[in-house]
Amino acid sequence: MNHIGFFIIAASALVSAILVVRSQNLIRAVLWLGVTLLSTAAFYAMLESSFLAGVQVLVYVGGVVTLMIFGVMITRRHEGILVHAENHGSMKGFAVAGSLFAVVAFAIRATDGLDRERPFTPLTTKDLGRELLQTHVLAFEVVSFLLLAAIIGAIVIARKRDPVEKPAALPAPHATPSATKEAHP
Amino acid sequence: MNGLVHGAVYGGVIASVLLTTIAFGIWFERKFAGRMQSRLGPTIVGPFGLLQSVADVVKLLQKEDIVPRDADRPLFDLAPVLAALFSLGVAAVVPFSPTIIASDLDVGVLYILAVGGLMVIPTFMAGWASNNKFALIGGMRAIAQSVSYGVPLVLAVLVPVILSGTLSVSGIVTYQANHHWFLTWPVFIGVPAFAIYYMAMLAESNRIPFDIPEAESELVAGVTTEYTGAKFTLFYMAEYVHTLVGSAVGAALFLGGWDGPFAPGLHWMVLKTLVLFTVVYWVRWSLLRLRSDQLMVLCWKWLTPIGVLLVLGAAAWVQFVPGGFQ
Repeated sequence: MNHIGFFIIAASALVSAILVVRSQNLIRAVLWLGVTLLSTAAFYAMLESSFLAGVQVLVYVGGVVTLMIFGVMITRRHEGILVHAENHGSMKGFAVAGSLFAVVAFAIRATDGLDRERPFTPLTTKDLGRELLQTHVLAFEVVSFLLLAAIIGAIVIARKRDPVEKPAALPAPHATPSATKEAHP
Repeated sequence: MNGLVHGAVYGGVIASVLLTTIAFGIWFERKFAGRMQSRLGPTIVGPFGLLQSVADVVKLLQKEDIVPRDADRPLFDLAPVLAALFSLGVAAVVPFSPTIIASDLDVGVLYILAVGGLMVIPTFMAGWASNNKFALIGGMRAIAQSVSYGVPLVLAVLVPVILSGTLSVSGIVTYQANHHWFLTWPVFIGVPAFAIYYMAMLAESNRIPFDIPEAESELVAGVTTEYTGAKFTLFYMAEYVHTLVGSAVGAALFLGGWDGPFAPGLHWMVLKTLVLFTVVYWVRWSLLRLRSDQLMVLCWKWLTPIGVLLVLGAAAWVQFVPGGFQ
């Protein structure tokens, strides 16, 4: 029973991921990305990590996908409902995706304790909270400080109209996409 | 296999009960609005006009299904189905009584936030796929509103989670039944948190004064401009279901859910839900619609900072006041 479910979810994750990069319409690509992220959440749920699954849906599908739609609508020119996705450099993309796959596969192979025979005990939400806010509290705080800095940086870049500074004094614009993406809680 | 049967039975029963409640809820709203405006409301179909909604649904379902020629057909067809799915889906973790709950998830609150937050996707999809300027503006407004109001909603919902020390909805209700309702104590945290939850819930379900994605006086009918017949009915029902389930969640998180004297739990839960549901329509027929920028000011300059303070206050309460959950 579980195997059938796994293969259905895996197929939906793969097909939607391919459609993300093959869609001609950017909005459709973003919506397919939502399906990919939902499938990932379904994997988490199958692994009995319900907290992770919930956060995945809340932050990625509800937050990031929504923000991406927002970004596309504000920044791209569109005629009617067509926003052309410019799919250049598919070979480069293939190379990057291939090497990422190799790295992840290697990391999985090299990790100890992923034994098929051993009984699987999922981490409870309580344990997760203890780990985050007691054992790894320093790393947690550093990450939140970094995100705060990114949010403030995004505001600084977005407020170009303020006549306080010349545009040359502003930070490099390539910081914008990652900053806005991370700005959602 | 047992889980599937259990889910199907519970899902079917809860969905039918909710949709029936909605049908009479619409009748009740029209009567209520009529009385507020010195009218009678529906009187013709059935005794006291009670069957008005049934007649409306039959009428709507008979109407021609029109799809604009240049619409994005698959997305256009999918949007109302997803809207109905997500709005009904939230009901799965709402405890209607100590025993009536479809799925007692240990991360129920997170599930409510996640699935409720997904509602914006079909709303935008409808606006986008209609290929209509009014619908598209409505879709954009829905996205902007949802991005903003997600923040105070999460902050407000965190307050009962911190006070009770659990993410399970039934756990939160049980805690309130054993101690006190969060609306009544600690009152200076519970009341504002409930107010923020209620406002964010109105905004999430696009109700006046936050119905700017639909704004019939500016945008024809916003995202639903191009929808007719059965698909329009689905959208219309999904919006009511979203409001009803939002009221039920508010009753469970802040008003003690099924807790109450004399009567069985189910009665109390239904009563509290319907009171909150009625207030939605009281507000709807009393207030005017906010402008987009006013909405953003209210959210970012008032609700979000107050929400952060409330979360800090709740954490301090649990930490320093004796008799907290630890």
